[in-house]
Amino acid sequence: MHLLYPRAVPDVASTLVFLAHEGAWRILYESSVTLARTLTGFAAALAAAVLLGFLYTLSPLARETIRAMNTILQSISVLIWIVVLVMLFGVLSPIPPVLVATVVALPILLSAIVSGLDNANPRLIELARMLGAPRTRLYWDFLLPSLLPQLAGAGRAALGAALRISVVAEAFGSGSGIGYMINYYYEYSMPRGVFAWGLLLVTLMILLDKVVLEKLEARIRRWATLPPR
Amino acid sequence: MVLRARGIWKSYNGRTVLVDVDVEARRGELAAIIGPNGAGKTTLLRILAGLEPPDRGTVEAYGRVLLVFQENLLLPWRRLRDNILLGLRYHKVPPGKRLERLRRVAELLGITEHLDKYPGEVSGGTARKAAIARMLVLEPDVLLLDEPLAGLDAGSRRSLLEALRSLARQGRAIIVVDHSLSDVASYADVVYVLSQAPGRVIARLELRGLAAGERVRLLYEAMFRASQVNAV
Repeated sequence: MHLLYPRAVPDVASTLVFLAHEGAWRILYESSVTLARTLTGFAAALAAAVLLGFLYTLSPLARETIRAMNTILQSISVLIWIVVLVMLFGVLSPIPPVLVATVVALPILLSAIVSGLDNANPRLIELARMLGAPRTRLYWDFLLPSLLPQLAGAGRAALGAALRISVVAEAFGSGSGIGYMINYYYEYSMPRGVFAWGLLLVTLMILLDKVVLEKLEARIRRWATLPPR
Repeated sequence: MVLRARGIWKSYNGRTVLVDVDVEARRGELAAIIGPNGAGKTTLLRILAGLEPPDRGTVEAYGRVLLVFQENLLLPWRRLRDNILLGLRYHKVPPGKRLERLRRVAELLGITEHLDKYPGEVSGGTARKAAIARMLVLEPDVLLLDEPLAGLDAGSRRSLLEALRSLARQGRAIIVVDHSLSDVASYADVVYVLSQAPGRVIARLELRGLAAGERVRLLYEAMFRASQVNAV
């Protein structure tokens, strides 16, 4: 048994052949499922981070609470989240991979927003005051858009992390997705399948980062960067 | 009189910046504040605008006082039109009136053709005018400007100065912090000269009615004294 895995590492060509035999529909379906879960989790994290950022500007108590919450979120191992969520929602539920993506992306996004708010250009705040902006508009009209360049960079990192971790959640407890496929072939001792789906995941991440996220980040930076202080 | 500051003192971290400063703004008057670097000119403007409290002294304002910052601070994600209308939205000015004010101010400053552009798409002069327009649509009684001509080319300086004169003629009080004595000599009715740090008003020059050469001579003499005098 101890000799099985060292000898079982497949070469690239046979891995690609294996993947081709899986069929385009299968590859497309499982990839879409994983991507959809990741994007849903990421969107939830983004919405939560933006909302928490708004609360952060309202009072010192809210600021301290959100800082503490972020520290706690960052301290909890992803393994704990996965196990707890699978226990809560069941092995075949699609919810754990989505929520895991959320809890992975949230601290990254929230940290970017909190740090951006802490270092916001004080002149921008004075300008808002001078224009008569109510406290609630200060965040939505001035601070949040000025944070978009930082948020775009953090979003890129957060989405990458969410995708990497949500497949782990799929492997632990799900009936579909790239993570499920990797786990399926692992349990049946078929290293070629593990490598094939792993290769697909890496390709997907690189494509997502280079073709979509990198360009999106550059565009947002050009659009929303304030002149230097 | 729409703005009167009396006996203003200000310190930061034990370092005195302003000493017993008196400044007044009158309707229809274009005043300038000049002084060596670090004399506290910007600090004085911020105190006049109510952005910072003085340590001692009083500021009495009889109307709306607005400050145009040295950095234009136009929001790059909004067109010039939306940047300018922002304050009117907060003041709940009806949409019809907003557009009327926008049209009037844009015409005065000569930026009508640029209103649909983003700040990154216009020249420094146009951006500066848009930043001024953003405050002007709020119809301030006193407009404070921190080095509005800095970094502008000759054409932009001329047209902006003309717009400021026109605003003063309309009855607004305008106070400008400026470094260029020749510019100040060309537009200012009254000039407050601050000494080198810590800043104290060492002269209030009334330039109205004086010949151009006399204005320049007075300003250069005052600035020479300002660089010699230490307030404390």
